[in-house]
Amino acid sequence: MIGLFAVTALLAIVSAVSVVALKNPIHSALGLVAHLLAISAFFAMMDAHFLAAVQIIVYAGAIVVLVVFMLMLLNLKVESRTKGENVLSVLAIIAGGVFLLVAVPVVREAMDSLLVSGSAGAGGTGADMVAVEGTVEAIGRRLFTEYVFLFQASGVLLMAAIVGAVMLAKRESKPQPRELVHGES
Amino acid sequence: MVPVSLYLTLSAVIFTIGVIGVVVRRNAIVVFMCIELMLNAVNLSFVALSQMHGELDGQISVFFVMVVAAAEAAVGLAIIISVFRSMNSIETTDTSDLRL
Amino acid sequence: MGIEYLILFIEVFVVFNLAMSMSAFCTWVERKGSALIQDRIGANRAGAFFEIENPFLAKGLLTARVFGILFVLLGLSLLILQFGVVSLSGILPPQEVLGGVLIVGILLFGLSMVPFVIRGLGILGVINTLVCDAVKALTKEDFIPNGVSPIIHSLAPVLAALPIFLAFAIIPLAPEFALFGYQIRPQIAELNAGILFFLAMGSMAVYGVALAGWSSNNKFALLGSLRAAAQMISYELALGVALATAILMYGSLDLYAMVEMQGNTWGALQNPCMFIAMIIFFVAGMAETKRGPFDLPESESELVAGYFTEYSGMKFLLFWMGEFTEIALFAIVLALVFFGGWHPLPFLGDFVQFPQNHWASSLIGHMILMGKVVFFCVLQIVIRWTLPRFRYDQLMDLGWKWLLEIAFINLMVLGALRLAGWF
Repeated sequence: MIGLFAVTALLAIVSAVSVVALKNPIHSALGLVAHLLAISAFFAMMDAHFLAAVQIIVYAGAIVVLVVFMLMLLNLKVESRTKGENVLSVLAIIAGGVFLLVAVPVVREAMDSLLVSGSAGAGGTGADMVAVEGTVEAIGRRLFTEYVFLFQASGVLLMAAIVGAVMLAKRESKPQPRELVHGES
Repeated sequence: MVPVSLYLTLSAVIFTIGVIGVVVRRNAIVVFMCIELMLNAVNLSFVALSQMHGELDGQISVFFVMVVAAAEAAVGLAIIISVFRSMNSIETTDTSDLRL
Repeated sequence: MGIEYLILFIEVFVVFNLAMSMSAFCTWVERKGSALIQDRIGANRAGAFFEIENPFLAKGLLTARVFGILFVLLGLSLLILQFGVVSLSGILPPQEVLGGVLIVGILLFGLSMVPFVIRGLGILGVINTLVCDAVKALTKEDFIPNGVSPIIHSLAPVLAALPIFLAFAIIPLAPEFALFGYQIRPQIAELNAGILFFLAMGSMAVYGVALAGWSSNNKFALLGSLRAAAQMISYELALGVALATAILMYGSLDLYAMVEMQGNTWGALQNPCMFIAMIIFFVAGMAETKRGPFDLPESESELVAGYFTEYSGMKFLLFWMGEFTEIALFAIVLALVFFGGWHPLPFLGDFVQFPQNHWASSLIGHMILMGKVVFFCVLQIVIRWTLPRFRYDQLMDLGWKWLLEIAFINLMVLGALRLAGWF
């Protein structure tokens, strides 16, 4: 199990780095797909079957496909870098490293204190996993009873997003005014 | 079983990579993808903590995060397209002007 | 511990072989069937190892008929023996044995008609399709166009074919049976998410198509892949909602459980909503495979060959294989979810009862399922060669303005009816 975790974690980190580091946006998008699949594998390892499937359907199957689609439509050039930006990236990496230096010990500390006090909720064992099956039935039941208001609200949010996206992306019916603006300036 | 702290550490690493990407990259779509990386890191820790507590609430939060991410993708990409139409570029440095 | 892995390995082997042979079968039906429809002879030039004319068939149909009847009698007697042994050992009453024997007899009679079918289509198209095309593809130059990223260009066909093969992991192929004391369910993965995995793999197949067009450095390929990606995303919605209707009806996501619930009546005939869902699933599935009247991404009169214009040899064949495997995949899911899977009769499910947990009834169930699958594969190919192509705006209108709306209303109506306790 820990070996599987290590391999998947390596895949997740390498693909995440490739999203940031690769110059061609389509390569970055492919890296993101690999990353999402790795995260989905983690969900499956933690018995969150429903989320693992939804992760692939929604993230990899819809959102990133949309991104790839747009990249193909826009036909962008590869990003070029100036010297100042290289300095910026080095600084950013240093800052990220410092953040990790702080964050990782904090996580360890918090987990250890949980282990000592044994106050980890229903599981009680602290740093170890409790088997709770994220089955479709269980999540659906919670979603339609306790969280039904949030569920409906997210439906409204999606509706608003669709309308907004259509309004934003709609081409102007008359292109003449824009031509005039260009002619004036 | 894998201890939760490993998952949380991994989540922190991925989140950091996402933050670095947002700071460093200029292409708006890549910045968008780095934001997705950060969201995924948070999702991972949500599920890990949900497992630790033996409750499903964390997984349901992840579900809502995905819904919001989908809405964000639709609106965000539409904005990027309209920016590309008027500026003919989606580099964040080119779109710093306050006029069309 | 070891024997479970062995069983799993055998299951994977069988399912993979099934997927490959279904894709080969579809290719063959496509070539010879299209020839039949267009009144051509079709591929028949390859005959490397044996005589072209079958001696039985050449001497007239009488010999073939005698041969067929003998074959049926042999099969019947074997099966009567088999079921006699089963019923004597007290597993099931005799009238059910009779029902089983009848079904098997019909099946075997169908099998014995194969020589006639082969005579109609010409046996040698098989060799042409299975051997010659493969050898040709393997020995062709592997062409990579100028100015592209070779890794992505090579990755695209794999990404197009792999998810389709992976989706076979959740397909149950037969009712479960006991053999040597082991309870075997012929389904590789019994996931809790079940059919969601099928949807997930279907949505992953978009990448192969999109990247193929993008990495070809060719405007026609790019246009084709844009069309294909947009079409697949659009029709995925209607497909998912149609499947949600079925999930609502059966109350389960597992394909095996879904089939078991159709023991009395096939799913599509249980109520009108399921019938509408079946039609939506079929149409959306045909659009997902980018074939039939929906083959705009590769329309040869507008785009040279669409997204695989710049592919040759085995990479081209991988796209081809993925497409035909997808046809078989949709046929299998259609047969399992809406057409009763391995249940032979649309109604009157109690009339025929096969012995539970017996390998022979499992085999018969598998044959019934495969019969349905073959029927739907052939139906898809016949539709593809019969109907003219849509215009692109008509395609988008059909997907977004008709199928999706009907699917949603259908889902709501079924939900309301179930809430009212009608079904």
